[in-house]
Amino acid sequence: MMSSVTLAADPVQHVINHAFVVNDDGVWLWSSAQTNMIITALIMLLGGLFVAKAVSTGQESEGHARWVTNNRFAHMIEVICGYLRENTVRPLLGERTNALMPFLWTIFFFILINNMLGLIPILDLQNIIAGKIAPEMVAEHKAFIGGTATQSIWVTGALAIASAIVINGAGIKELGLGGYIKHLTAEAPIFVWPIIIPIEILGTFIKPIALAIRLFANMTAGHILVAVLLGFAAQGFFKSDNPLLGFPVGVVSSLGVIAIYFLEIFVGFLQAFVFMFLTTVFISLLAHHGDHDHDHAHEGAAAHA
Amino acid sequence: MNRFAMMTVLFTNGLLVTAATAADKAASPLATPKEGFWTGVTAIVLFLIVFGLLSTMVWPKIVAGLDERNEKIKGEIAAAEDARHQAKVALDEYEKNLAEARAQAQQMLEETKSQQNELAAQLKAQADAELTEMREKAKADIDAAKKQALNELYSESVNLASVMAGKILQREVSVNDEQRLMDESLAELKTVNS
Repeated sequence: MMSSVTLAADPVQHVINHAFVVNDDGVWLWSSAQTNMIITALIMLLGGLFVAKAVSTGQESEGHARWVTNNRFAHMIEVICGYLRENTVRPLLGERTNALMPFLWTIFFFILINNMLGLIPILDLQNIIAGKIAPEMVAEHKAFIGGTATQSIWVTGALAIASAIVINGAGIKELGLGGYIKHLTAEAPIFVWPIIIPIEILGTFIKPIALAIRLFANMTAGHILVAVLLGFAAQGFFKSDNPLLGFPVGVVSSLGVIAIYFLEIFVGFLQAFVFMFLTTVFISLLAHHGDHDHDHAHEGAAAHA
Repeated sequence: MNRFAMMTVLFTNGLLVTAATAADKAASPLATPKEGFWTGVTAIVLFLIVFGLLSTMVWPKIVAGLDERNEKIKGEIAAAEDARHQAKVALDEYEKNLAEARAQAQQMLEETKSQQNELAAQLKAQADAELTEMREKAKADIDAAKKQALNELYSESVNLASVMAGKILQREVSVNDEQRLMDESLAELKTVNS
């Protein structure tokens, strides 16, 4: 059992996306990340409907209780939504907040739930079961479900494309097409335009690429670290020729895994927030030049994130 | 545990643990287009579906709930502040009225005292005047009575003296004699009294 779960030679296998249906050309038609994302979508829709009902103001007959969100989970989501809207987005986007908030909330929770699903060892559990009933599936590294969808650069890239569309769409809506194009000059003197305009155009693409790579790299690195430490722990406990050496290694590695797991939970929240926050910052950068000084103040924050 | 500590654990373990036999070719965390294309397409399609559904069924309700709650809280805070302001104004007015009432009461007390003193002084003066008047009147009455008594006494004395003198002289004393005797006696009496 352990050999299929934690003792794989390559810890990356525990992290990456796994194919489930592959066509003759080797193209993955369905993979574990896709199932994960469907689960994420279902969680968001069902959970969202539940939370929306709980957060909505009740009937007048309920008296003062109609203003209270009674469910703890709904209350938690309400607090997160309220914090993101009032403390994170509104200071940057002002009046545009209400229009853009649905997208920003959706992308935050979509990434967050995928990150959290990646921390549940569904893939390993599946491998244990598949090892019993369909060993060839494990041998071919196939999986129907599990892993971290946001570890896939294709997923993070897709989300970054969505962000890029919103960032530039909001910019064009705010500035007008002429203003948007003019913004590419950064109001620099004409003789600097040959340098500035390519940089600004590149920046338009680099921003979403940075979003995609940041999320992909954080999820990949963290999960590989967990997998490596789990591998060390398992080898220390079960495979070491010298128990006096293997046991302490197993203990230290196990403690390390627990610590890193907590760190990964934090990173899961943090990266979802960072993706949403940077999208907000990039939207705010494409504003009227009257706000430009204010906007550039956020570029430092974006660079640090 | 910070990154440095994590790397230290990783490195230590790496030194201590025998490397596993590499049965598989090391996988790359970067999926190739063949591996990832449909995953990416699924991601964006699912995201758009979720975004669309949430934007119509969930976010508006949550936004309405948050906004209504915000408005309610703001309204309640404003009402509480207003009520507190009104209470403060009422308290200030009450204290001001109380202070005015106290001052007025004090003033009234002092006025009453003053009036009482004045009245007492008036009454005393009146009583004194009446007393003096009564005393003067009594004195006058006494004087008149005394004078009348003396007159009567002299009149009787004169009558008696006349009778006695008549008896002694064996003749009647005329009215003119009596009158003359009386006038003389009264004149002497006045002289003696004065």
